[in-house]
Amino acid sequence: MNGAVWAVIKREYLQRVRSRWFLIATIAGPLLLIGLIAAPILLANRGEERERTLTIVDRTGVLYDRVAPRLAEAGYTVQPSPGDAAELDRLTESVREGSLGGFLELDEATLTRGEFVMHAHEAPSPVRTLTIRQAVVQTALEARLGGSTEDVRALLSGGNIEVDVLSVGPGGLEDATFVAAYLGAFLLYMSVLFYAVAVMRSVLEEKTSRIVEVVLSSMRPYELMLGKILGVGAVGLTQFAIWIVSATVIFSVGAPALLAARPDFISPETLAGALPGLGYAFLFAAYFVGGYFIYSGLYAAVGATCNTDEEAQQAQMPVVMLLVVPIIFVTQVIQDPQATLSVALSFIPFFTPILMFARAAVGGASALEVALSMVLMAATVMAVAWVAGRIYKVGILMAGKRPTLPEILRWVREA
Amino acid sequence: MPDFALRLSGVTKRFGTHTAVDHLDLEVPRGSIYGLLGPNGSGKTTTIRMVMGILHPDDGSVELFGSDPGETRRRRVGYLPEERGLYRKMKVLDLLSFMGEIRGVAPVEGRRRAGDWLDRLGIGDWADRKVEDLSKGMQQKVQFVATVLHRPELLILDEPFSGLDPINQDVLEEIVREFHQKGTTILFSTHLMDQAERLCQRVCLISRARKVLDGDLRDLKRAESRGVLAVGFEGSDAWLDGPEVIAREPVGEDLHLVLAEGADPQQILRRGVEAAATIRRFELVEPRLHEIFVQHAGAAASGDGGLPRDADLGGGVR
Repeated sequence: MNGAVWAVIKREYLQRVRSRWFLIATIAGPLLLIGLIAAPILLANRGEERERTLTIVDRTGVLYDRVAPRLAEAGYTVQPSPGDAAELDRLTESVREGSLGGFLELDEATLTRGEFVMHAHEAPSPVRTLTIRQAVVQTALEARLGGSTEDVRALLSGGNIEVDVLSVGPGGLEDATFVAAYLGAFLLYMSVLFYAVAVMRSVLEEKTSRIVEVVLSSMRPYELMLGKILGVGAVGLTQFAIWIVSATVIFSVGAPALLAARPDFISPETLAGALPGLGYAFLFAAYFVGGYFIYSGLYAAVGATCNTDEEAQQAQMPVVMLLVVPIIFVTQVIQDPQATLSVALSFIPFFTPILMFARAAVGGASALEVALSMVLMAATVMAVAWVAGRIYKVGILMAGKRPTLPEILRWVREA
Repeated sequence: MPDFALRLSGVTKRFGTHTAVDHLDLEVPRGSIYGLLGPNGSGKTTTIRMVMGILHPDDGSVELFGSDPGETRRRRVGYLPEERGLYRKMKVLDLLSFMGEIRGVAPVEGRRRAGDWLDRLGIGDWADRKVEDLSKGMQQKVQFVATVLHRPELLILDEPFSGLDPINQDVLEEIVREFHQKGTTILFSTHLMDQAERLCQRVCLISRARKVLDGDLRDLKRAESRGVLAVGFEGSDAWLDGPEVIAREPVGEDLHLVLAEGADPQQILRRGVEAAATIRRFELVEPRLHEIFVQHAGAAASGDGGLPRDADLGGGVR
């Protein structure tokens, strides 16, 4: 590669990596992860002892014996109380001063409609409310139905559907996979857009500052564009690499801590299943590179046809639409990756980076489809580079009003 | 055969219906200081942009160092565009190192040279500051350093003095002379005739896209010496009006009159005598470049009137 292109790559890369926003974004990412892991642990430990002591006033006479073991299982210390007026006053007082986490009043309404009152020292977390409500309501149902405990519990937990996908690959649609595919697709969208827009801004800066005239006296326009795209793209890859490394560290340290603190919260198997693996990282990187090359080319061309930031804001709309369409369809595609619509959309090159990634991430695309999409994507990158390079070449040195579409088409033909 | 750093033959550039440069021939000998002169909008910048490969001539050819220009040959040129621009967010030294690197100067060497230049221009303390923190004058200096960092054989400076205060104009003039002494060929465009007169050995005058005059400055002056009349007088100046006088300009106590071609100064003198004017001085003098220009391009083009400043860019499509 010639020295001038290398100098451009280096400049774009170092200027960005050394900048403040890169530092902030790179640190903020892992911090967010740490926060997500640490928050439940902290919540779990907060006021543990006090909040986990419950007194139950059972006016039905049938619920306490059944509900107590359930709550004990979830980590609560439970005592019964007769619930006469004096006793209620005493309980209210201890809850108010904080020596007791709270007390429940169960009565006929609990038995018939699952309704009951909880007096608590402070507002309970959603998880606590859910745990306690489920324990009480399940117990009430059991008492009404009178069946065996296990059956009712299974029924109440929402049953289970076992999905057996016969056509492609392993894996059904587990929650973790869904979330990973969705987050991944969204992150792809964000990062492709972010870095492609960075390319546009860089093009625009060179154009408006006129420095491009001097730079282009030493290299060809397409070399400048290429250097710019490679340099900015390398910044994106660097950021991902830092995130992946720190995420690995965080999970290998943080995950065990999480599991130790809340054994009831998530099982080690579920967590392991939820963590994206190497294949996922590879797919992400590959579709990022493809998507980035396609969109950064388009954005470079957009930047070259504009003279101000405001113009660029407007001119980029059609390109943004191309990126937004797959995001509109992504949930649908993840839910039904084999549907004709999903398959068709994922093979439209401008949508491929996000939608084919989403399909592949939920195991809904065959290796052949993935490979084919990559080939198509590579071909699109070349086509975009050819067209965008021509628009860029003419536009970057053009002053005056923004060109119309027919004019741009003429540049492409004649450049 | 003389050795030319730059040669244009029949170069023509049109933007739509407007012809910005019309069949321009220009030969810049190696080692010369060449002035490309003309009012704003006359086609100077368009010409330079064609040399730098930013625009492509519709007709004619450009030769740089004896053959077709390409990136490699253009790297031997130092180009200071009329519209200055730098990467505002970059540190000065990083920026200069980059500008050197794209023309083949290794970063370490580029930084060393840039440091020397910045010291010499009195802004060495600013090397690690961002460009946007610098004053406009300092940015101009940085831009100039960026232009010469790779030790070009040919310097092309488009309106290099515009925007500089008088002190820095002198500094730049001195540096240009220094490059000239070291054998660098210098082509610069300006609409400031006095500046050109002090610096140039050769000039090319263009007006409205066409070349009006080209050659050695001293030869031009000698050939034109009949054209300018210096008059000193008291009282009314009505007697000066006549078909012989194209333009008048006060120079010190006197008035310089640019005469039409073939005009007879005696006619004017006769009118002065008839009007009983008190004449102190009546003398044909060596014309200043400005006067030569006015005489050839016509009074109408002498001011900054003519075409608007950016007419040679104006949204044209090639």
